[in-house]
Amino acid sequence: MDAGHPGKYRKGEGEVKALFRKSFLFILCTYALLIGGLVYWQAIADLEGHPLNPTGYAVFRQPRGAIVDRDGKPLAESVSTDVGYRRVYASPSVSHITGYFHQRYGMTGLEKAYNSSLSQGQTVRTTIALPLQKHMEELMAGKVGAAVAMDPKTGAVLALVSYPYVDGNRLDESWSDYLQDERSPFVNRAVQGQYPPGSAIKPLVLGAAFAERAAYPEQPWVDRGAVELEGRAIKNFQGQALGRITTLEALAHSSNVVFALLAAELGPKLLTALSQFGLGEIPPLPLPMSRGRLPSPEQSDYGWGQIGIGHGDLLVTPLQMASAVSAIANGGKLMRPLLVQEVRGGWRLPRVQLPAAYTQVIPEWAAAAVRDGMVLAVERGTAREAALPGIPTAGKTGTAQTGAGQDHSWFVGFAPAYDPEVAVVVVLEHGGIASQTAAPLGGAVLQAALAACTPQGM
Amino acid sequence: MRRWILPWIELAGWLGLALAALSQRQNLALWWQLLAIWGGFAGLALLSRQWGGTHTLLLPAALLVGLGWVFLYRLRAEWAAHMFTGAMVGLGAYCIGFAGNWATSRAKYVFGVSAAALLALTLIFGQWSGGAKAWLAVGPIRFQPVEFAKVLLVLFIARYLVENRPLLTLKQGWAGAAYWGPLLLFLGSVFMLLAVQRDLGPALLVFLVYCALSSLIVGSWKLLAAYGVLTISGFTGALLLFPHLRTRAAAWISPWEHAEGAGYQILQGLFALNNGKVLGKGIGAGAGELIPEVHTDFIFALIGEELGLVGTVSVISLYLIIAFIGLRLASRSTDPVEQSTALGIVLLFSAQVFLVVGGILRLLPLTGMTLPLLSYGSSSLAAHMWMLGILASTGRVRGK
Repeated sequence: MDAGHPGKYRKGEGEVKALFRKSFLFILCTYALLIGGLVYWQAIADLEGHPLNPTGYAVFRQPRGAIVDRDGKPLAESVSTDVGYRRVYASPSVSHITGYFHQRYGMTGLEKAYNSSLSQGQTVRTTIALPLQKHMEELMAGKVGAAVAMDPKTGAVLALVSYPYVDGNRLDESWSDYLQDERSPFVNRAVQGQYPPGSAIKPLVLGAAFAERAAYPEQPWVDRGAVELEGRAIKNFQGQALGRITTLEALAHSSNVVFALLAAELGPKLLTALSQFGLGEIPPLPLPMSRGRLPSPEQSDYGWGQIGIGHGDLLVTPLQMASAVSAIANGGKLMRPLLVQEVRGGWRLPRVQLPAAYTQVIPEWAAAAVRDGMVLAVERGTAREAALPGIPTAGKTGTAQTGAGQDHSWFVGFAPAYDPEVAVVVVLEHGGIASQTAAPLGGAVLQAALAACTPQGM
Repeated sequence: MRRWILPWIELAGWLGLALAALSQRQNLALWWQLLAIWGGFAGLALLSRQWGGTHTLLLPAALLVGLGWVFLYRLRAEWAAHMFTGAMVGLGAYCIGFAGNWATSRAKYVFGVSAAALLALTLIFGQWSGGAKAWLAVGPIRFQPVEFAKVLLVLFIARYLVENRPLLTLKQGWAGAAYWGPLLLFLGSVFMLLAVQRDLGPALLVFLVYCALSSLIVGSWKLLAAYGVLTISGFTGALLLFPHLRTRAAAWISPWEHAEGAGYQILQGLFALNNGKVLGKGIGAGAGELIPEVHTDFIFALIGEELGLVGTVSVISLYLIIAFIGLRLASRSTDPVEQSTALGIVLLFSAQVFLVVGGILRLLPLTGMTLPLLSYGSSSLAAHMWMLGILASTGRVRGK
């Protein structure tokens, strides 16, 4: 094949050689660019610690600090495997608190918020009570909604369950199921779910009304089942006329008539009070959270009436409600919600978060009067199903209309009523009539919380 | 006689080593496919020596195909099996390229017209896949005609440029238009066909090859500069015309801002490359499954993760070796058409490597083409083997 060709081509041979040498140099130069790029990305650039890099190997080759409950029991810990370390979670529902930490799916929740501390081996101590968390996880199983238990005196979150959830121990097996699940298990309903509160707002409205002296506890009302504000009717649940009742009985039996009138009288002052209770604000927890929504201060009387019964433009998250109800339980003093109480270990200084009060939202006597109304609701009113044997309990149900499907049902309450150790909030999406669904569940959650809290206390 | 066989034995050793590394992590039920690929290439090398041709191109090609098979098998056995089929078809395509008179036949318009016809058929009967209408099904065989059409186009361009060389200089002024005209008109209509199919990677590729080839043959820097301007304005025009190109361009310019969407793939590729460092994690030890569509051109990022900079530079070197052998064969030919054809094919091959690897390295926007001989796709594999066959036939003394 390399036999020389004589004659006419010989003259052009040098030219041809030059052409191909030029072509080769051209290709060599472009490939040199590629090799330059490879050297840069593979030997010079350092993307290992990049927050978007889910394949950062180093962090999986060393143990990571644990996330523990208030008694030091691990919620999330690193377990050694033959190829490094794997994160193990105490219970599937904790992933809405701890988040998950996974080579493929990245990190979320406290794992993400405290990544720098955890990756240096520090321990993050939460306020969660793991036995209560597990018990509430069982109680919520199969429902769609959220339950929060809080220590009203400190604002500490004792348990936080959102169902359905993503199991941090089973991400590899179930990831595609989670993605396809129409109930969106990735959403933490306890802090991200925004719902109309319905009648569950009434304790707050009543607190504001007492504080503003717009009503007093034994004030008589006549409830005919409906009231007209600016020509538009606001009706009681199923149009039931409650007749002659006091303000406290209006709370116990959830009179829309009385609360629409109270709210219409309070007007913009109601909005101020609700915002002081923490509604419409993002709570200061290290989790991705929703703000909820407060309505605009420009409302007609009818509009205020709707807000007074927990509709209108009002949206709240379960955690916000837990905080607000805790404030009523705590003599009107709103505490800063608390989830992480301590980060310590390694060479870093420990960081401690102590319980802190925000504001006195309503006077102590007003909070006590609202509590009496809530006790009445559990004794004889709509929250009867939440009653605990031998323990005075304060509670309130809420059935919030949704655009479509069954109503959302709420229960808010605390126990023991006169020396509260725990406040709980339960929301069931499309749960139906709250007095039959959320109230019994709320009672069970309260009982579990008391059982978990009484022995040690915080 | 014996000496040529030594590198093939060495190659067998390398592939065996790769298999041994794989066996640490997964079962090797299909190991015989790799053996068959090696045997097929080595057997063909033996045969081409018997025919009086060169076998040197087959060696780097076998290493690339073998490497591709190993990494596809590491990802998913079905992908490797597809690669195996492609390699077997590719050996046939190599023979067709080697035996046919592709570089000496005078019927230049046949190539051009059949390329256009292939593309037109795809447009009419094609099937959509991955945002482009790129597949043609004939009975049970499903293939991507554009892979073959671009080779035909380069065959056509190479010949046209040589035959009209004296007139293809800018000095001719408007008189040269009679020669430029048909070529530009033809290329323009082919690009329109590709644009309608939303398959812009091959259009860009053929255009770049055309620019490089005509500049080199005519030997004019002015021409190269003019093509540069044309490329940039064409690129801008394409950005305005095609919204999906705009997303790609945005992902290219700022992948960090598009980390969850269009930039995800390129970022995962860069992370994989970066995690490989100089020596790599070892075969099977990377996290290549994290890269979406890793079996396509992004197999290169996986190789970078598991074989490191050493592996990626070796792969680039193999492509460079193929280009070098091709150019050396071309320079030994005495037929200007054959020379130009070989040069065109080398440029086509190399430009695809450059565009694809440059896209993964974020030097260029992603073009969505395959990495020659290495990534998943039997049409592409067959077409590239065909190209190597044509190259191997260059300069061969034919008995007439």
